[in-house]
Amino acid sequence: MRKTMIALSILFFSVVQTNAQLGVMKLVGKNTSNYTIGFGAFIKAGFPASEGSDVTLEIGADIFLLNDGYGSSDGTIMCPLKAGYRYMLDGSSKGFYVEPQVGFDLLGVTSLHDANGNQINLRYHGVVFAAGTGYLFEIGRAPFDLNLRYETVIDHGGSNNFISLGISRFISFSKRGSDY
Amino acid sequence: MVMKFYLIMVAVMIFLSSCLKQSIPDAMLSSKSASGQGDATATLSYKVNGNLVSLTVADAKSQNPNNYSLGCTKESNYYSFDALTDAGEFTFMFITDTLTAGNYNIAGSYNMFITEYNGTNEYLQATTDSIGFTVTANKNGLISGTFSGRLTPLISQNYPNDIYGAPSSVLITEGSFKNVPVFY
Repeated sequence: MRKTMIALSILFFSVVQTNAQLGVMKLVGKNTSNYTIGFGAFIKAGFPASEGSDVTLEIGADIFLLNDGYGSSDGTIMCPLKAGYRYMLDGSSKGFYVEPQVGFDLLGVTSLHDANGNQINLRYHGVVFAAGTGYLFEIGRAPFDLNLRYETVIDHGGSNNFISLGISRFISFSKRGSDY
Repeated sequence: MVMKFYLIMVAVMIFLSSCLKQSIPDAMLSSKSASGQGDATATLSYKVNGNLVSLTVADAKSQNPNNYSLGCTKESNYYSFDALTDAGEFTFMFITDTLTAGNYNIAGSYNMFITEYNGTNEYLQATTDSIGFTVTANKNGLISGTFSGRLTPLISQNYPNDIYGAPSSVLITEGSFKNVPVFY
């Protein structure tokens, strides 16, 4: 099932025009103070659904290192695959938008050391929900997407929550008056 | 209308997720502990010429694999069972690549240290010496079983002229071990 999803994702992103996005993020919630600022890289594509709205698909990887005295070997990595609905607030192709997303964490791993110094690797998946907002604009003729989102991954009765700030040059599958 | 629906649904899900008090790793560790996988208590007991020696280690899997009180370490072609009790050390080698339920015996003059009891080291030294372990279970990285043996005490160490006591005069009886973690 997971291989099929990955294959479909690769096919999807090979058909539409996409671009890489980079983001910085911070885990929030209980027992997250020892995590450093995280980094994420992902690709995102969109199909125009109507004037001023897109259906989006996004796959990425988020990495958070853990400061627990055992070097850089501890931390959390998650690889969410998400579908979203991006809605331009003024109905145009530029300006502010909101974007709810749902998806699945293809791979989640948290490595840490217990009180006795033993390394533990915890693997999980989970459903993903995200709510974001952003601003589409141009610098010269290059379109950019500056966005902020809150994302949560739920599994095993717990949740990993983080806030992400990202920027990308986003290109849609078909033109709707611009390259966004 | 559709947009409102999606926004409300995602907002509800995010609100519900914020009600989850634990991160996923914390929840997994709590679940592991609650199911007993993370806090198994290991025990070892045996008698040396009728005198009881026992050891209990709580949360045995959390011991340091390089420095533990009761455990078993996988080596290249054997498993080393080791314990540190109030009476002294105890050690045994399972000569196997894969530790499964079954009998593991060593007999003969190997000059092999097995245990210490109140300052005296007991060896597999005489041809009539032996020690046998029976592993009854190996589950979730924890082994359980029984053992017994007869050993020879080392009276005076002055290699190569060590002096041993009466051959096979030390009886190890009623040996048992439970939930001893295997470290790989």
